[in-house]
Amino acid sequence: MVLNSMNKSDIKLIVVVLFLILVFYLLFDNNAPGTNAIVKYNGSVIDKLDLTKDNSYTYDGALGDVVVNVSNGYIYIEKENSPKHICKKQGKISKSGESLICLPNLITIEIESNDVEYDSIVR
Amino acid sequence: MELKRFTRLSMLLALSVVLNLIETIVPLFNGTVPGIRLGLANVVILLVLYAYTFRDALFLSIVRVFLVGILRTGVFSITFFFSFGGAILSILFMYLFKRFTKLSMVGVSIIGSVMHSLGQILVLTIYLHSFSAFAYLPIMLAFAIPTGIFTGVISKSLVKYVK
Repeated sequence: MVLNSMNKSDIKLIVVVLFLILVFYLLFDNNAPGTNAIVKYNGSVIDKLDLTKDNSYTYDGALGDVVVNVSNGYIYIEKENSPKHICKKQGKISKSGESLICLPNLITIEIESNDVEYDSIVR
Repeated sequence: MELKRFTRLSMLLALSVVLNLIETIVPLFNGTVPGIRLGLANVVILLVLYAYTFRDALFLSIVRVFLVGILRTGVFSITFFFSFGGAILSILFMYLFKRFTKLSMVGVSIIGSVMHSLGQILVLTIYLHSFSAFAYLPIMLAFAIPTGIFTGVISKSLVKYVK
């Protein structure tokens, strides 16, 4: 039934979209473990964290405190006050280019490597 | 005839709002993947685009976003702007691809689904002043294909009853 209702251009479209997924995936996933995490509030950088040192940090988000934890090179949001706790559900990240977006708190965390300059040129 | 048209469009609008509300009550995968929805409301928009005109579909889309805004998210909240960006981009591109390509209703539905994801990511990018939201695009697009096919197949089998 599904195949009957599609024509050749539909299949071509699906192939194009799959290709775009691959392109975007490769653009944003370079598999290198990150060294730093950039913490932003409403678009401006408020902190730069060292991912090699285990620690816990607290930031002032739009809805209250956001507790960020660094352990074994992974960074994750431990505590926040957003309604659906999507910030927390995003889990742990460690690779360069990955990010945690905590929308209700206006906080974003992006992971970078030390060779940032080269990284952005390759992108 | 005008009266019949208005009545039908109003009923379709109500249906799209209800489908949207149902969808948010029962999220896909228990809400573990944020921002992924079936897009059932798009079934209605597609039906209107094919059985009526682009102007009707555009108008219905905009009114739907405002109604869902009033009922659920609050008008002019960030969720409202997500829906708005997604809905507008989606209906515009569905119209263009319907008019200028040989895509079937299923293909046009996939376009709508993809553009809905892109519209939301663009709004998020403007809101956060950061391109980091684009990292979510691959996973959203990966879900856009099956959900687009799903809504497309439903619309295709329903369109003859609406005309």
